[in-house]
Amino acid sequence: MSEVEVLKPLKTWSHLAKRRRKPSEYEVVSTNLLYNTRDANAPYDLDPDLAMNRWYKQYRNSSPLQHDDWNAFRDPDELVYRTYNMLQDGQETYVFGLFNQFNEREHDKGLEPRWVGTLARIYTPGRYLFHALQMASAYLQQMSPASTITNCAAFQAADSMRWLSHTAYRTKELSLTFTSKGLGEDERKYWEDDAAWQGFRVLMEQVLTTWDWGEAFVALNLVAKPAIEEAVLRKLGEAGRHNGDTLLGMLTDSQLLDAARHRRWATALVKMTLEKSGNAEAIKQWIAKWEPLADQAIDAFCAAMPEVPNAAADAKSATRDFRRSLML
Amino acid sequence: MALLGRLDWYNLARTTNWTPGSVTEDELFPPDMSGSMGIPLSKWESYDEPYKQTYPEYVKVQREKDAGAYSVKAALERSEIYEKADPGWQSVLKLHYGAFPRAEYSASTAEARMARFGKAPGMRNMATMGMLDEMRHAQLQLYFPHELCPKDRQFDWAHKSYDTNHWAVVAARHLFDDMMVTRGASEVALGLTFAFETGFTNMQFLGLAADAAEVGDWSFSNMISSIQTDESRHAQIGGPLVAILLENGRKEEAQRIVDMMIWRAWKLFSAVTGAAMDYFTPVADRKMSFKEFMLEWIVSQFERALMDLGLDKPWYWDQLVADLDHASHAMQMGFWFWRPIMWWNTPAGVTAEDRAWLEEKYPGWSESFGTVWDVITDNLLEGKKELTYPETLPMLCNMCQLPIASVPGPAWKVRDFPLEYKGRSYHFCSEGCQWCFEQEPERYAGHLSLIDRFLAGHIQPPNLEGALNYMSLAPGEIGDDAHNYAWVEKVRAARQKAAA
Repeated sequence: MSEVEVLKPLKTWSHLAKRRRKPSEYEVVSTNLLYNTRDANAPYDLDPDLAMNRWYKQYRNSSPLQHDDWNAFRDPDELVYRTYNMLQDGQETYVFGLFNQFNEREHDKGLEPRWVGTLARIYTPGRYLFHALQMASAYLQQMSPASTITNCAAFQAADSMRWLSHTAYRTKELSLTFTSKGLGEDERKYWEDDAAWQGFRVLMEQVLTTWDWGEAFVALNLVAKPAIEEAVLRKLGEAGRHNGDTLLGMLTDSQLLDAARHRRWATALVKMTLEKSGNAEAIKQWIAKWEPLADQAIDAFCAAMPEVPNAAADAKSATRDFRRSLML
Repeated sequence: MALLGRLDWYNLARTTNWTPGSVTEDELFPPDMSGSMGIPLSKWESYDEPYKQTYPEYVKVQREKDAGAYSVKAALERSEIYEKADPGWQSVLKLHYGAFPRAEYSASTAEARMARFGKAPGMRNMATMGMLDEMRHAQLQLYFPHELCPKDRQFDWAHKSYDTNHWAVVAARHLFDDMMVTRGASEVALGLTFAFETGFTNMQFLGLAADAAEVGDWSFSNMISSIQTDESRHAQIGGPLVAILLENGRKEEAQRIVDMMIWRAWKLFSAVTGAAMDYFTPVADRKMSFKEFMLEWIVSQFERALMDLGLDKPWYWDQLVADLDHASHAMQMGFWFWRPIMWWNTPAGVTAEDRAWLEEKYPGWSESFGTVWDVITDNLLEGKKELTYPETLPMLCNMCQLPIASVPGPAWKVRDFPLEYKGRSYHFCSEGCQWCFEQEPERYAGHLSLIDRFLAGHIQPPNLEGALNYMSLAPGEIGDDAHNYAWVEKVRAARQKAAA
């Protein structure tokens, strides 16, 4: 081994040292962290034929969505753990500031009982929907083929829990003013049985049982989430403003900031997959498969929404605008 | 303030189970992925996590913790703690960083498994935070060693290790993959959060933090203590799960997973933490011996926790306690003897002060392990360094992937536990490792230890050069004696003084 070169210390990780520029904190702590992609035959270092190894080989490695270098993906927001908490602590301080101010002004007492009935039917049951988004995002976290993707999925899961938390908070708070609307009691019944929710419930049950990671990403981030964000956040927020519920409109505006970030990473990921032939076709086929379910969900939900003319048409149109922006 | 208290709305945020309509319960929660053990959805809703935290509390508290950890690091940036540290401590850092950050990242996937497939809503929320916690632990423990890269090529292993076939990483992956990411949500909660995080991470992260503080490495000490505050929250995912399993008649299943994972974690930590505490950390800075840490943080801690939860002590408990006397010494001997195949420089840790400490903490050490070090020391004193290198490979256990070892000296009774399974011979270091294999042989049967790979011709050429190449170790990063044999001269001087 005498003629072998002796390795010298590097300024950064060897996998980043080949490039000539100094890596950012985001790159140092986020890139190439998965090791279950190193051996295609045994994602995990046990029997290659172990059930979980077969799961990863089938649903991730053999997905129709393929790329030669998934590790090249970068989150356009370059969020790392500590900046995520700074960002969201700021947002939560803002939202809880709203809760505080509106409570001091006795906001809820000014709401029409009819609107509160609407909230009990199409707002407070939303915690089940947001929790389904949390679960589906956690699935993407475990199945995505690069750590820069799994990070985005993890933050998305946490953001979904954030939305669910806001809804739980407001459900409780509303129930203190309005004791006869079933608030905090009837949400599961509405979610399981009410016509307004059945489209979204079926949509999310189907997304949650989609195991191929590529299809799960497309169904969740390109179809289901945009439908939910346009109908259950944006349009419901508008309905709130039109019914004297200023707080709801401001709350969904804050949540839509998260949604916009989720679309930025999803857009960047789609753009990267288009570098390889075959992916555009796979994505388009999945969108064609999932779009009708999402449209039905928007129609059913928006039909129950008062004071927002053309809510369903607007929401569906906005989901199309987003997907058109992907340049598939 | 006109805000609700967190417990006013906490329950609503974890009332999120519903009866699926368009798919079956088993389709939504596949039994293998959820580890539901036949227990229906409604029975999981009584799950009550003892450590309750909401999303807004999480992002606030975690932002503050990070501000602390990063600012201590920034404040100490110019203090040259690393440069001034003993080479033994530098090796503790290299070993720690090579062993943990990428495994922590994999743990975020284990948490995601529980966040998606756990049938208890409280578990899913706690695991969502746990998933973020483990990202934190990976990112912190990459960010800190990254700045050490320009000082020493071995720090590249803080990131690179898990991409390689290094023998220690194969052992780490085999354990962590078994415990964290290849099982259903319930087994992850039992194995990772209860069996592993309530005990072993305490030892690595608080025990080593105590040593770090003694050494004066405040940056490292503060950072890993901060990590442990997250562990102490999400480690509590497993406890309430045990309650549900016991209520539904699944004690045997729970006990089996817990027993397997405590054993498996013990084996790996006897190598990683054992040698670091008993040999790598300079003798003056050792807070306690590995055995003392184990007795306090693992043995008594688990005895209490298992009893509190209604589980039993593992069947091998007495054996584990007996192994505390020698496991770290056997692993240390391997680390030093096979030092070229490490990504750190192993300190021998056998100066006169070290030996006195070892004999005090482990009575009988001088008559057993000490005799082997006598031979090594004599060879070095006589300038026969070539005799202190291995000519063969150690036999590795087919479960823990660590060398099959025992106590040298008159009591030498190394024993192989062989097993024939479907026409292949497997070798284990202990009854515990063989028992783990026999619980679910199909999980492990197709795996090849590095020795199996050597014998199967996967490692070419079949010599040290081939092995180094296979393990992605090159000159510039391969290990040697941490003190560059300076300790041998101390021994020489002491002997000359004694002779005079």
